[in-house]
Amino acid sequence: MDPITALFGIIIGGTLVGVCVHFIPCSAVGAMAATTGIATGPTMLASGAGMMGLMAAAYNLDNGLALMLASGAIASMLMIALTSVVANITYAFGVGVAPTSGQSEYDRFTGFEQKQCLTPGTDGHGIPTQSFISGVIGAAMGGIGGALVFYSVYTLISPSIAQATAIAIAGIIAVGIYIINGVLPAYTLVGKTEGMTDKKFKTTPKTLYSCLIMSTVSGIFVYAASVVI
Amino acid sequence: MEPTIIFAVALAGALAILAGIFEDLESDTGSQSNPNSQVQLAPQIGHLHRYFNKAISGEPPAYGFWSATGATVAVLLQTRFLSGFGEMHSVILASIFGAFVAASILSFYAIFAHISRTASMRPFKQPLQLDVILSPLPLFFAYGFLAVLCVTLISFITNMVLLNPFPVPLIALLFGITLGTIGSSTGDIHYGSERLYQTFIFGSGIPISKQGDIDIKAEYGFRNSIDTPYFTSRFGGPVTGLCFGALVFLDNWSRLFTFAGKWTPILLGIIIIILLFIINLSIEIYTRNRFNEFTKE
Repeated sequence: MDPITALFGIIIGGTLVGVCVHFIPCSAVGAMAATTGIATGPTMLASGAGMMGLMAAAYNLDNGLALMLASGAIASMLMIALTSVVANITYAFGVGVAPTSGQSEYDRFTGFEQKQCLTPGTDGHGIPTQSFISGVIGAAMGGIGGALVFYSVYTLISPSIAQATAIAIAGIIAVGIYIINGVLPAYTLVGKTEGMTDKKFKTTPKTLYSCLIMSTVSGIFVYAASVVI
Repeated sequence: MEPTIIFAVALAGALAILAGIFEDLESDTGSQSNPNSQVQLAPQIGHLHRYFNKAISGEPPAYGFWSATGATVAVLLQTRFLSGFGEMHSVILASIFGAFVAASILSFYAIFAHISRTASMRPFKQPLQLDVILSPLPLFFAYGFLAVLCVTLISFITNMVLLNPFPVPLIALLFGITLGTIGSSTGDIHYGSERLYQTFIFGSGIPISKQGDIDIKAEYGFRNSIDTPYFTSRFGGPVTGLCFGALVFLDNWSRLFTFAGKWTPILLGIIIIILLFIINLSIEIYTRNRFNEFTKE
């Protein structure tokens, strides 16, 4: 991968990370079973999934870009899928409520009526199938984005630094770019989303532009630093 | 497959289960993460309480920080201990010291967070009580110490045995963020939705209008944070451990096989995700049939 392609890799990867947050269903008020989604902040959840993706991608550093991106995506998807299942187990056996969307009449995939199991006075609870699928898609995008940033930064800096140090620096920069781009959607989501079926999903272009600008700035900084080195 | 690698994968999974349990209990004891909003709201609607109230930050960055601190101290000490104690013992000993440092910082942050949070509740007459600060402190320290110790040991296993190219402190940071995310997403629901609202009938849900209306009376006297893990360790803690343990184990386990070449872990990962989808759908169908008696009315 030549340096200019690597720069574009950072930009595309960073933007994917930002957009992925819109797909991942989460809500802080979910911890009180009062809204649909996994009970934490969108940025936090996307970061948690992305970190597992980065770790899995690092194992495949010498096996080519395709395998690296795939392993990053799979580890992130696994994290979101497991968290959704265990969160639903907690809602079912710890709280006693069924997964329900507060915004949809019917689930887009299963066709289940949502109002039937909605607790009065709440905006849904748990992770229904449509949110589960949305979350897994978002995690795949985040995992690919994170792994792409990591690989791009690594190829930019590896010719001039010892391999072990280059991996560590690339990992830290990838975490940084992941979290920066993960935070930006928080301004459009305001702490709550049901995933791609949410009304706020229409604000994705705003996140896309802001993450594109942010990733370009970050990418140029990394590119300039690697050229100086 | 080498027996050492298989043992390392199993050990990492087992340690991850323990890390998940202790992380959740630590956050529940201090009302950290999202249920903190309820403890913060309570005085505003007239419920003066005796819960410990520490929202230092979100759980993921907090645990990323504790774990990275513990692992950094451990790595520095491990190189010192290496000649005297050998590889394995030096890792264990250094991890204990690292976790001790991280747990000490956690306890300091907890004290200051509680004091400043309670001070901000002065207009609502929420008192700052010394025993509320001091009584749960050994619990934070113990749970935080055990959680960070487990994450540090997993990080050493991942780097030294499973040969992840990232350095140990970075692995600890990544695992810490993931652990905090899982603790915040799974176990805290049991605290925020059930423990704080035990007066509501199980399965009736908690309307948004009732937020902040938390239970302040216990079986005897006032509720306090020491009693919280007594309740959440029965369900919230173990499910967090189950989630983080399963994640670490399945992620590493899928890399043990090579029957389809280099793409075997990807293939196994897809199969596991499909199985999880089926489990999720089954839970949804079960709960829809089981818990709809309140919404029917």
